[in-house]
Amino acid sequence: MSLRKDRRHASATKPFERLLIANRGEIAVRIIRACRELGIESIAVYSDADADAVHVRAADRAVRIGPAAAAESYLRVDAILAAAAQERAQAIHPGYGFLSEQAALADACSAAGIVFVGPGHETLVSLGNKLAARHRASAAGVPVVPGTFEPLPVGSRADKERIKAEAAGVGFPVLVKASAGGGGRGMRRVDDLAELMDAVASAAREAAAAFGDGSVYLERYVERARHVEVQLLGDSQGTIVALGERDCSTQRRHQKLVEEAPAPGLSETQRRALHDLGVKVARTVGLRNAATAEFLLTPDGEFWFLEVNARLQVEHGVTELVADLDLVHEQLWIAAGVPLSQRAIAAAAAAATPQRHAIEVRLSAEDPAHDFGPTPGVLTAWATPAGPGVRVDAGVEEGSAVSPNYDPLLAKLMVVAEDRPRAIARLRRALDEFVIGGVQTTLPFHRWLVDQRGFAQASDLSTDYVARNWRPVEVVAVAALRATELAAIAIRDRTVTSNEATPSANGHGAPAWWRAGVVEGTENRR
Amino acid sequence: MTDRLRVTIPDLPLTVQPAPADVAGFAHVGRGESVRPLPSTAEDRSEGRTRLEVVVGGWRFEATVESAARAELRDRAARDAAAHHRVADLTLRAQIPGRVVKLWVADGEQVEAGQRLLAIEAMKMENEIRAPHAGTVKEIKVDVGALVERNDELLTVS
Repeated sequence: MSLRKDRRHASATKPFERLLIANRGEIAVRIIRACRELGIESIAVYSDADADAVHVRAADRAVRIGPAAAAESYLRVDAILAAAAQERAQAIHPGYGFLSEQAALADACSAAGIVFVGPGHETLVSLGNKLAARHRASAAGVPVVPGTFEPLPVGSRADKERIKAEAAGVGFPVLVKASAGGGGRGMRRVDDLAELMDAVASAAREAAAAFGDGSVYLERYVERARHVEVQLLGDSQGTIVALGERDCSTQRRHQKLVEEAPAPGLSETQRRALHDLGVKVARTVGLRNAATAEFLLTPDGEFWFLEVNARLQVEHGVTELVADLDLVHEQLWIAAGVPLSQRAIAAAAAAATPQRHAIEVRLSAEDPAHDFGPTPGVLTAWATPAGPGVRVDAGVEEGSAVSPNYDPLLAKLMVVAEDRPRAIARLRRALDEFVIGGVQTTLPFHRWLVDQRGFAQASDLSTDYVARNWRPVEVVAVAALRATELAAIAIRDRTVTSNEATPSANGHGAPAWWRAGVVEGTENRR
Repeated sequence: MTDRLRVTIPDLPLTVQPAPADVAGFAHVGRGESVRPLPSTAEDRSEGRTRLEVVVGGWRFEATVESAARAELRDRAARDAAAHHRVADLTLRAQIPGRVVKLWVADGEQVEAGQRLLAIEAMKMENEIRAPHAGTVKEIKVDVGALVERNDELLTVS
């Protein structure tokens, strides 16, 4: 009884009393932090693979929802709703990925009287599906990437001739994309007719496995295009604002590696035009809460609509750093029915004239020397950079196991500075401070990237930059030779012997030779 | 230790044998560099080998260090033994844990170098395994849908 009274009393100071986070990893930790700041009790969910995960310990409470496989845990609407009911959560934040854009979760929430932190059913249905979004945007007069508007006839009703004719109509190279896709999954670039049917089949299979929907369609592949996107926020009173744009052109296999805000080289006029397109798309579907409208920026300077992600985006942090706004706080207040804050409206008004620059790099358990293949394992060392203008959103710590069951993203390193050159200098400094052991990550790729002319001077930002320029063999060879020197020094100085070579997974139990300073990491800097 | 050393990074593969004078000239651990011991196996210990994780600029290597003199003795013994038999078959092992989602070949099938053999899905991405050389597929150890751990045998190309 007293709890209920407290809640009514507290309703002015916090959006909810208890929130369940239907996600894992860095984004779960990110949302839990927002809960802490707002005085909301946080409830984590976890699979068996995550029983000891960072997000579980960060939350006030945690509920097991199933075995390691995502389909049996993080993708189970019933298990998540049961956990929410058991813990009497008033709202569910889905994060990104998993069920974040599934109308099924939003619907189950409204049926159970729980607030879904995200758009309504109608919006999710019309925006969550990329094909439907293409229809909507096109109807609203927003230019879309040329391509098909209906799912390809694949699977049991496969019609090879029609698929080939459609592709020829769009023109090669063509992209096969999953209607329900995201993060590059279920997406294939096809350069000629001979590869088409294989690519369509494997994209449909990957999409069916990842999203439970194997529908795919075709879009023209635009060479040397940039990927820019608009951060949108809408409240339940119908106010929709754009909080600036991000450039996410540095990608490999259609997955983002680096994101920055604002997009370099755009004029104020271009920014306003782009933001207006984003708001226009959002209006056609009555957006509520956070979403991102993605566009291609063609070499001719045209913005072509790609899709809307009706959720918090992985890279939302760079917008937060430039706009000086907490998007998760905003999301939670909006979900509680509170109108957009004056702060958010002021940030939107200033979005076309940004005064700062932020860059994010994704640290993933992937080997950049081997086509960014996954590298699950145990993080035997993990020390993150800090200092002015540096933010790290991580879902792991020293000793964490990186499971092959989930997305390989470990952490996001973000920097903010007065302008882009200073942000890049700060990023280079922060990357040098990152210490990761036990698992190969994308760290060396980012160290390489910051020193590339095309990136550093923003003279060659395009989605195929990595494919055209990343040649890891030589970079690895130089590092490997240096590694042999370091190994030789360590042995010559008897700083490690085979008998004591069993490290503790915990940094506080570092072996004696390490503390002795002979191969100590900061020696040269003193 | 005044012995010459042999440092091996097997994945590359890379082997160097710096003399003590060389090692004396090497710069010590700098920014973005770290050295950590790796768990040793009984074989490492009996062979006098030390395994280290060395990180340079974010690249992670597993290096093995041992006495060069001892390694050379072992090499000679191995060469003598190799003269007696040749290994022609190559057994492919899973480099990542995951699920087999596609098997393009059957037992006894002739394949060309680079031909797709099977696909393993890990972290929701399909990873294609291709034939390392032309030959005959045999001893397929997995089916579509099978869960594999790192180093599990997949099939052999002879």
